[in-house]
Amino acid sequence: MRNLLYLLFRYSALIVFLLFQFISLYLIVSFNKSQNEIWVNSSNIFSGKIQERAQKVEDFFTQQQLNDSLLRENAKLLETIINFRVFSEKNSFQTFESLDADSLRNYSLIPARVCSKTINLRNNFLTLCIGSEDGVDIGMGVISKDGVIGIVKRVSKKYSTVLMMTNGQSRISAMILGKGNHGNLIWTSNDTRSMTLVDVPKHAIIEVGDTIVTSGYSISFPPQIPIGKVSDFTIKGGSNNYDIAVDLDFDLSTIKTAYVIKFDKSEEKEILLNSDDE
Amino acid sequence: MMNSLWSRNIIRTLFVLFIQLVLLKRINLTFGDFNYVHLTIYPVIIALLPYKMNRPLVIVAAFFLGLFVDFFYDSLGVHAGACTFVAFLRYYFLAFISPRDGYKKDALTSFEYGVPWFLTYMSMLLFAHLLVLYSYEAFSFVYIKEIVLRTIFSFIASLFLVMVGVLIFNPKY
Repeated sequence: MRNLLYLLFRYSALIVFLLFQFISLYLIVSFNKSQNEIWVNSSNIFSGKIQERAQKVEDFFTQQQLNDSLLRENAKLLETIINFRVFSEKNSFQTFESLDADSLRNYSLIPARVCSKTINLRNNFLTLCIGSEDGVDIGMGVISKDGVIGIVKRVSKKYSTVLMMTNGQSRISAMILGKGNHGNLIWTSNDTRSMTLVDVPKHAIIEVGDTIVTSGYSISFPPQIPIGKVSDFTIKGGSNNYDIAVDLDFDLSTIKTAYVIKFDKSEEKEILLNSDDE
Repeated sequence: MMNSLWSRNIIRTLFVLFIQLVLLKRINLTFGDFNYVHLTIYPVIIALLPYKMNRPLVIVAAFFLGLFVDFFYDSLGVHAGACTFVAFLRYYFLAFISPRDGYKKDALTSFEYGVPWFLTYMSMLLFAHLLVLYSYEAFSFVYIKEIVLRTIFSFIASLFLVMVGVLIFNPKY
């Protein structure tokens, strides 16, 4: 206590000085127009900076939200494109005006973020941060904005596991765009950017650079989702089919967002397919 | 003795303030664009306050002195701030130019400590005062050139005036 008093006494001049200096500045700013304006402007610059910083921080935290909303938007657009393409293929004689929205809606897309993925293994899987609660079911196709990713293999309440294209067990029905020959796409190499299209009969005319898309024969994918381009093709001795090397359009290791394709009439189609087997 | 020291200070304060606020304030030394000379002599009041006066008290007194000047200059706070500033610095100036045998007399005049000493003391005080004064007046270092020019020219003119006054009256207290 004595020390405190001593300290106060020792620095009394400084304290009084600061106090009155503060009062002076307060008076200057409150009662002088030009000084007041400078003060207000300076403080605006100051507070402006702070607010800018705060906005940046807020942006950082709301980025996820923004991304999600963009993801949903993208899903809607892709959905429209896919549905329109499917419809126009089947009903090329019908004009667009005569359509009603419901007949267009065969496929709907569920946007998802990628939680984790493996790329370099023989059997590569990808985990999406959505699950059965969001409407994901086993067997649904998963695409990104650039092309096919894989097929949903397992679903929990909040997560789902996707069997990627670049998985030894993966088998996707694909066709050559514009030519109609279709086959199965499998992954035999260890290169994550290259796949093999098998079961294409050898009478088909193929050129390097032909575009490979999904066939739409399975319930997983709508037709004409891009996959890649033909880079090479060979016929093994004694075989009736081509082995076509396909370069993927995009790098699977870079995907961060994906869309799960829900075929609204999948049950119908599945029953039909199964009955065909029998 | 003590009474005369205080009464002298009070009388001097009133006298200097009268000159400052009634005469010098009206003098307009403008030559075309050259508007940098403002005669400011009243800091001499702070300079001549007794040496033994309590430091916080000096600051408080200087504040009210400045505030009083502000009422006349329509610049509330500007002079008060500058006065508070030099009142605070006065102690350090005095310590800086302390005579060899210290301050034996309470009156900080040229009569007691000599004209060269007083000139140094007054210069430091006045320069600091004017610099702070014009800084507060402009209130932004955007006007740094103007602040410096005003400080320098006003300093020369005001110091001249103060020294003339001090030499004429040669106050003992």
